[in-house]
Parts: sequence; structure tokens; C-alpha cells
Amino acid sequence: MKIITTGVAGTMESSDIIVRIEPKDTPGVELTLESDVMQQFGKQIEKVIRETLTDLGIEDAFVNAVDKGALDCTVAARTMAAAYRAAENTDYVWKEVTEK
Amino acid sequence: MSFIVSEAVDLYGPRLEKIKHFLGTMGLRYEGDAEYTVFLTDDDGEILGSGSLCGSVLKYIAVADSLQGEGGAAAIVSRLVQYAYLHGRKKLFLFTKPKNEPMFRSLGFFALAETRDVIYMENSRSGLKNYLDSLEKGSGVQGAIVANCNPFTLGHQYLMEKAAGLVDTLHVFIVSENKSEFPFDVRFELVKKGTAHIKNLILHESGDYIISHATFPTYFIKSSANANMVNAELDLTLFCLRIAPALGITKRFVGTEPFCKVTREYNERMKQLLPDHGIEVIEIPRKDDISASSVRNAIANWDTETLRMLLPDVTFDYITSNLLNK
Repeated sequence: MKIITTGVAGTMESSDIIVRIEPKDTPGVELTLESDVMQQFGKQIEKVIRETLTDLGIEDAFVNAVDKGALDCTVAARTMAAAYRAAENTDYVWKEVTEK
Repeated sequence: MSFIVSEAVDLYGPRLEKIKHFLGTMGLRYEGDAEYTVFLTDDDGEILGSGSLCGSVLKYIAVADSLQGEGGAAAIVSRLVQYAYLHGRKKLFLFTKPKNEPMFRSLGFFALAETRDVIYMENSRSGLKNYLDSLEKGSGVQGAIVANCNPFTLGHQYLMEKAAGLVDTLHVFIVSENKSEFPFDVRFELVKKGTAHIKNLILHESGDYIISHATFPTYFIKSSANANMVNAELDLTLFCLRIAPALGITKRFVGTEPFCKVTREYNERMKQLLPDHGIEVIEIPRKDDISASSVRNAIANWDTETLRMLLPDVTFDYITSNLLNK
């Protein structure tokens, strides 16, 4: 899936995360993350976002996320929704987001 | 305490009055131009919180004391940000009191510049850095001019020629916002053509990082008389701490200002602040007291003789072929 525009999903309300995905011309995913629980879960949130994008076949993107204590499943779901929107893709494959 | 979240595109009538009143109780003055507003109410319809989007700037964000810690601000800002993104605005900004910085930082905004009265924030950690990286760099002794050029006059041309003669590279920032009589593209193009003969001049768009009084909101500043000075200090702080060091600018040039009180006060503040940051302010006497406002008056009166005396050929040709003949 290729990122062609800006896609956003989520909110900044408690237990949620807002994820914004934008096109990037150079290789790699560049992620900026703000979180209320950065110390405890920053790495885990970043891992979930990166894995979700990899699963969707997205290799190049700017990702900006502001987390308000979202669970992993929420992080994955918001990332997927933002990615589909950023790819202007409506052929959703809502796979089991927690299956690993 | 729970709340109901509602939204409104354009505020008017009784709802506008209620929100105005609420903002007043929170020490904020409504100054108009709310394009999209999110507000919080209790079961009886009393306003408990509000926030608006005006172009790319978030304004009038306030939450009642009774709702503090309940996620009211997050509910408002989330919706404003989503609305902005959906309308293709990615770079968002806000001006607020410094004490609110932690709250907005937790909502994904980063400080660009701060003074004791105001903090300017953007929704990106790298927005300013990307802008600075994108600017063409100069060498040797470098100077800067910031100008609106609405439109480009012989006075501007003279100032730029004089300044360019005193440095190795002259950076000229043209204010990007479109709140002037002449649109940005036109202003920029006229300066570009009219300064083509100055070989050591680099022309830049100011982006969102030169804060003119047309964009600066004053609704949270107690006395509006004070607002111009707060604006000037914020703009100059951003220039001194971020823009000048990135380009190696050590001199800033201005024309003397015989007409406009706001500009004169701005220039005075500049002379006080910049030397502390190792930047010399050089005031160059204005050529024949030419001002862009006298040009706009002459256009209104179709006074081509006066225009001929005030404008370089590029601007004169543009005005006579685009404005006066229509």
C-alpha cells in the first residue's frame, strides 16, 4: 500500500491515540511520538505502529502520533485506519489486530 | 462531571453571544474570525468549554474550572485538529500564555518561541527545522531584511541595495501571509524582478516563522494596547534564537519609519533586543519618505504621475497593466 495523502485517525482523549500519516519520498518510516506514558511504554507503542505499517506493506511514511495511554489494540487500529485513509484505499482487510 | 461535545461552523446569533460571554468569564476577548468551533455544554446547555479554528491557528481555547482534569481540552483540540487535517491544513499553530505550555505539549504541540507574555507553538517538532534546512545559505558576513513589500517600491529597492553593499550575503524575507492588498505571489515576484541586479541577495518566503501583527491574535492579552509590543518581542525572539543562528545572520537592516507608530515601536524594540543576541541593527534613512501606503493611496486615486515617482518599473508596469486598466 502506498501513502499518497495525509491520513488521520483517533483523538487526543484519554485512552486513545491520534495517528497522522503522510507521504515520504525517501525510504523508511520516520516516526515522532508523544505519549503520557513515554517512559513506560514509548518503545512498545512505536513497535506496534511500525509492525502495523509493515503488515500493510508501507515502507515509506512520516508518522506523527500523540498517545494518551492507548492499549496496543487501539494503537494498531488507529494506525491501520490512518494508513488506509492516507493511501485512499477503501478495500479494508480488517485482520485480527492482536494476533501475532 | 460529564459534558456534551458540539460543533459549529461559523458562529452567530445567541450561540455566539453565549460563547463570547463564556470566553469573557475566562479572561478571553472574542475578536471574530472563528471558522469552526467546538464547545462543551452541561445537561442544561451551559457552556463549559470552547475552542476555535481560524485558518491554521487554534484560538479561544478555554475550559471551565469545574471541568479541569476531565479531558475537556483534549476533546476540543482533538476535534479542531481533525477538522484542520480533513481540510488539508497540516501545519497548525497556536499562541497562548506560557503557563498553558504543558497542556498543549501533551496535545502534540511544540514551542517555537517564548517570551514572558506569550508562547508560540506548532503541531510538529520538525516544522521550523525543515523550514530552516530548506533555506538557501549564504557566506561571509550576512545580513537580513524582513519586509512585506505591499507593493515593492523604490524605497524597498533602495534599502536592499544599500544593505547588500554592507554585507557579503543579504537575506530578504518576504512576509508570506495573504492579509495584504497585494497577494503574496505578486509581492514576491515583484521583489524578485526588482532585485535581480543585486547579486548577493537571497530571497526567502517568511513561512509561518515571521509573526506579523496581521496574524498575531491578541484575545488573551489583558490590554490590547500592549499587544503590539508582545507581538514584536515574540517575533524578534524567534528571529534571534532560531532563524538568525541557522543562517549565520549578524546584521539586521531596517528603513527609518517616519509614518507608522507600530513599525516605529517594533524597530525600537529591535534595537534593544537584537544586540543581546549578537545581532547589530542598522537603520538606513528612508529614501524620499516613500511608503507603500502612499502607493496604495495613489492607486486608489489613479494617480500615475505619483506612482511613476514611487515605484520601480516592475511594480509600475504590474500596477498599470493589472489594476488601473480594469
